[in-house]
Amino acid sequence: MDHRLFYVVGDFIANLAIGVIVGLIAWAIISPSWNMWGAMFAMMALGMVLGLVLYFPVGIKLGAMEAMIPAMYTGMWSGMVVGMMSSMMEMPMRHAAEMGAACGIAEIIFIWVANTILRGVTRQPKAS
Amino acid sequence: MVDTITQAKWDRLAPRFDSMAAKGAEKRWKPWKEGLFSQMDGKVLFLALGTGLDIPSFPKGKDITAIDISPKMIEQAQERVAGYEGSLRAEVMDVHDMPFEAESFDQVFTSCTFCSVPDPVKGLKALYRVLKPGGRLFMFEHTGSRHYPFRQMMDFMTVLTSKLGPDMNRDTVANVRAAGFEVTEVNNIFLDVVKTIKAVKPA
Repeated sequence: MDHRLFYVVGDFIANLAIGVIVGLIAWAIISPSWNMWGAMFAMMALGMVLGLVLYFPVGIKLGAMEAMIPAMYTGMWSGMVVGMMSSMMEMPMRHAAEMGAACGIAEIIFIWVANTILRGVTRQPKAS
Repeated sequence: MVDTITQAKWDRLAPRFDSMAAKGAEKRWKPWKEGLFSQMDGKVLFLALGTGLDIPSFPKGKDITAIDISPKMIEQAQERVAGYEGSLRAEVMDVHDMPFEAESFDQVFTSCTFCSVPDPVKGLKALYRVLKPGGRLFMFEHTGSRHYPFRQMMDFMTVLTSKLGPDMNRDTVANVRAAGFEVTEVNNIFLDVVKTIKAVKPA
C-alpha cells in the first residue's frame, strides 16, 4: 500500500463511499421478484461500470490506476452482494448501505495486501 | 508518415489533459518518476512529452529532446518547456517515424507512452535504432497484469478505454524484449500494473 497518509485515508474513504453508493443503487433496482443468479450477475456488471464512473471524481485527487482498479472491484462486489441479497429478501436501505460499505472496506484491504505482495523489483540487472 | 488518427485523439484531449492528470496521477507518481528521471545523463530522448507535466520532475541542466505526436499537447507544454533549467527541445513527432540518425542518443525515457502507441513493438524498435550501443531505456508505464483477478479486469477496462485513449492490458515488458532490448530491471510500483522498466541495447 501507499504509505502516504493522504492516499491511505483517501483510498479507504473513496472505496467505502463507492461501496455504499453502488450498494444503494443495487438495492433500488433489485427486488425479491428477481432471480437470484440474474440479480447477482446483472449487478456485478453494472457495479463494475458504476465503479468506473465513480472513479472519475475520485481520480482527480487520488490518481489513475491506484484509484481506478479498487473502484471497479468495489463496484463489482458491492453490486453483486447487495443485488443477490436484495433478490432473496426484503432488505432495509440501511442494511444495503452497510453491506456496500463492508464490500468497499474489504476490497481496499484486499488491494493493499495484493499490492504488498506484488510490488517491488522483480528482476535484478544483468548488465551494469 | 504521422499516424493522424492517434494524433487527432490526443489533440482532442490536450485542452483538458492537465485537469485530468495533474492533481491525481502525476502527484501520486511523482516520487517514482523523480527517482527514474534522476538517472538522466548524456544526450536524452524523452517521449511522450504531453503537456509537459513531467518536466518539473526532470533533473536540472540536462540535454533533452522531447517528442509528442500531438501538436496541441506540445502547444500546451510550451510554458513548462521554457521554464526548464537546461536544454530542452520539444518537437512534434511520431515515434514510428523519427527522423533522428541511428545511434544518436545515450538514453531514452518514456512516461506512460506505450499504453497508447498503436504498434508498440515497432515503436520500441524505433527507439532501439536511435539508441547508441550500450544505451539505456528507462520507462515509467502502466501495463496489463499477469495475475488473477487483475488481468481479467484490465482486459475489460481496455474495451472501454482504448477508444478514448490508452490500452490497459499491454505486456510492455515482453514488447521491450521483442524489440531487441535486454531488460535489466522491472520495479512494480502498484500491483504489477504501474511499473518502471529498465533495459539496455546490447553493445
